[in-house]
Amino acid sequence: MKAIEDFTLIGKTVLRREDSYLMRGKAQFLDDLPEPKGLIHLAFVLSPYACADILSVDASAAKALPGVIDVLTGKDLVGDIKTFAPVIEIEGYRDVRRPVVAVDRVNFVGEYVAVILAESPYVAQDALDLVEVDYDPLPAVAGIEEAEAAGAPVIHSHLGDNHIFRAAFETEDFDARFAEGDLVLEEEFRNGKTAGGMIEPRGCMAWPDPVATNFTLWTPTQIPHIVRTAIADHLDIPESVLRVVAPAVGGGFGTKAHVFPDELIVVALARRYGRAVKWVQDRRESLLTNMHARGHILHIKVSVKQDGTLCGVYLNLKTNCGAYPNHPYSPTLEATGCARMLPGPYRFQTYRYDVSSLITNTCPTGAKRGTGQPSAFLAIEGMMDRIGRRLGIDPAEVRRRNTVRPEEFPYVNVVGVRYDTGSYLPSLERGLEMIGYDAFRAAQPKDRLVNGKYRGIGICNYTEVSGTGAPGWRVRGFAKMPGFDSSRVVVEPDGKITVYVSQADAGQGHYTTFAQIAADRLGVACEDVTVVEGDTSKTPYGTGTFASRGSVVGGGTVIRCSEKVGVKIRRIAGYMLDADPERLVLKDGRVADPEDAGRSLSLREVAETAYSMNNLGLPQGEEHGLEATDYYDPPMVTMANGTHVVQVAVDPEDGRVEIERYAVVHDCGRVINPRIVEGQVHGATVQGIGEALMEEIVYDADGQHLNANLLDYLMPTAMDVPELELDHIETPSIDTVGGIKGAAEGGLTGAVPAIANAVGDALSGLGVNITRVPLRPSSVFEQIRRACTEKEGRA
Amino acid sequence: MILEGETLIPANRRIVWKALNDPEMLRACIPGCKSLDRQSDTDFTASVRAAIGPISATFGAKITLSEIEPDRGYTISGEGKGGAAGFARGKARVDLEDETGGTRLRYNADVNVGGKLAQVGSRLIQGTAKKLSEEFFGCLSEKLSGASAPDKAAPPSAPAVAPGRWLVWGALAIVVVIVLGWWIAG
Repeated sequence: MKAIEDFTLIGKTVLRREDSYLMRGKAQFLDDLPEPKGLIHLAFVLSPYACADILSVDASAAKALPGVIDVLTGKDLVGDIKTFAPVIEIEGYRDVRRPVVAVDRVNFVGEYVAVILAESPYVAQDALDLVEVDYDPLPAVAGIEEAEAAGAPVIHSHLGDNHIFRAAFETEDFDARFAEGDLVLEEEFRNGKTAGGMIEPRGCMAWPDPVATNFTLWTPTQIPHIVRTAIADHLDIPESVLRVVAPAVGGGFGTKAHVFPDELIVVALARRYGRAVKWVQDRRESLLTNMHARGHILHIKVSVKQDGTLCGVYLNLKTNCGAYPNHPYSPTLEATGCARMLPGPYRFQTYRYDVSSLITNTCPTGAKRGTGQPSAFLAIEGMMDRIGRRLGIDPAEVRRRNTVRPEEFPYVNVVGVRYDTGSYLPSLERGLEMIGYDAFRAAQPKDRLVNGKYRGIGICNYTEVSGTGAPGWRVRGFAKMPGFDSSRVVVEPDGKITVYVSQADAGQGHYTTFAQIAADRLGVACEDVTVVEGDTSKTPYGTGTFASRGSVVGGGTVIRCSEKVGVKIRRIAGYMLDADPERLVLKDGRVADPEDAGRSLSLREVAETAYSMNNLGLPQGEEHGLEATDYYDPPMVTMANGTHVVQVAVDPEDGRVEIERYAVVHDCGRVINPRIVEGQVHGATVQGIGEALMEEIVYDADGQHLNANLLDYLMPTAMDVPELELDHIETPSIDTVGGIKGAAEGGLTGAVPAIANAVGDALSGLGVNITRVPLRPSSVFEQIRRACTEKEGRA
Repeated sequence: MILEGETLIPANRRIVWKALNDPEMLRACIPGCKSLDRQSDTDFTASVRAAIGPISATFGAKITLSEIEPDRGYTISGEGKGGAAGFARGKARVDLEDETGGTRLRYNADVNVGGKLAQVGSRLIQGTAKKLSEEFFGCLSEKLSGASAPDKAAPPSAPAVAPGRWLVWGALAIVVVIVLGWWIAG
């Protein structure tokens, strides 16, 4: 491999080639695809109850509607599709399977009860009103505490209670070491359930070939290969007869990195009817039935010395699984993710956690940008501030005293995760400097009241898990998560390059960054590289695009694969030039011999030889063609890091939180394309502002979903976004190919705790204790009011 | 969700009570009511077509009266199912009391909505309840004032823009429990 120092295009801002069609509205999303003849349109009858027995389904009126082909219930599909469940192998996990359409019991509002097949989407919608379902409503549980309470209704009777997963971890002599601290602080943190919030709702379309033995499924997914494996498994068809294609995807954010029941259903119905089948959800269904995320209760206890250093940490985490485990991760994703990521940039080596996931009568939860990390850092970063307040040490100083020091890398954290490199302290210092932290603190009055508003500053010092490899998935129970990603790099006969990657872009800019990487490694212009992905028939198998893996694993495999092809290019060129292949250089679209300046070949000339398009033969033993395939399984995880420092003003009159200054320092190792990384940081930070201040899916005590619309599920708009002051630190990984670390989630992970801490700081003079997000004006106002009343009471 | 309120009706208590128990009167005034039939002394069934925005549905409802104190009040329980639009169910206590100028009606309803009604309409329920009740009671008041002479001189008729102040709140409770929620379906 060439030394990373001679990167030419990697590290440069290249404008995104995707934008030319995305910005002009030319992208082909699922619902823009041409529709095959004889297409069947689906609509799902959704359960209005959180828990009920289905007594009967009368579809006679719907079936009589002209244009309705059929109406199928769960019973009708039992023979077509196996009960649906992820493959999880970890102690403490208990299997829960679901019919893709409910058979005799519904367990959350929005669960599929029947599916309508019609000649047009309009008829399908009309028919929804004509299906009469007789339910016998049963008591429902929506919250974690209700689900684990004694005597709570047991949602899946074979479990005996509502626990689907429990795990525990404890370092040696935990109790003794924990007791070494001078004091113990504890707190309970909570976050609301949220949605991925992508602009394009989900949908899918399956198309059988004329004899209905081969199928193509178009679905806006981040994980086409995993979708194919899951469908083949649950429909009992060979993987070879199914092709899964992700068209342009209008945002994924982890929500689209799941396998969904409807994806199984459209393929099964295409098989049953021998016709193409399509379904597209609306906004309400998108918020109601796609995976939710968060909804955690974190009870944390820290033992500290008088100087603010941590002696030990205990975490009790409870997560809300929803009614069924998501596929392919199950609730272990957030549960183990949060507990294992909580140590973050800190040096403590005494840790114990107990995690549990509870089944409730709500929509299943799963992956969303950040996964367990915004929760983990809400807790540990919240404790850093509390330690500071309790001991009279500046919260930034508390962090300094606990952070892994530059000379300690590579560092193995308390749960055995290796931090190969990082800029934990430099990034903290830079963030503080950017926001003028010391001056702000010096000028900050004790009551925090400045010009009628409470002003405070909050810090989040975080690590960001990225590019998880096979061992990282196995340790968390993901028995069938490959971990690797792959690529095939082809030098075409005309010397142009095609790069096939096992990933699936959902807006991240893969078509630009992977082209940059291949062009860099093969010494050609970006424009000479075409990137193809999101199609199982064209790319080799791989894991897909989620959990900040695109650049680490996708980028890594494209580097490796390009270099493999480079070896063959040089071998053939060496033969043609009668030169030592080792010394040939790929540059400017040519293969040159630097020791003989006049001698070089164009890539096209080499390709023509490889494809037997001239009179030159190949060296002895050389095969025709000019391509390579690579499978790259990265390290267990690769840790990026960063720091957010936020200054807020809280208006006591209405409880509104205004972000006045926002500084982000970000270190994702080797940067491939700075502009794209900045876009990721901006987007994730804004999503974090949403989680911190406004977004929450609300269920009532009966499990009714009360805000499945974008008027009531509030997301940040341009009006809510402050100017983000960004700085990069580049500390390349020494473990990954190219030194790359991931960049997609840290913005969200950093934003939620930093904003919560800033509000907590602003209101600390009043004695308000911020433990829950989102911090909507109503809840902030209520907490201020209560604190003031208590103060008056004491006075 | 708790909905409560009170109003003064310019009719004597006996007439108000009668109206509250008159299916014909209710059928004529509940917006979108296709049928309302008395199944027994205490049970009604109703079918109401309701539409808000792009969504419309026909709701089948069962209504039961209990704790009946003639001319004084009753408790109404009901459940309405609107298929894809969801459901509404609840209970309302209605009390009538003599007062100068007519009858004071107080109601206290506890309403639960589910399905699409809850998902897209939760926050609109209070406002829509008010709007719909104004429409319903405007109609009822008009019919009442035409059909009977109150014991005392009737106050000047209410301006058309504010019929809500003349509400016959017993029937409001039915509307609140069974119909209002359905209006939220949009």
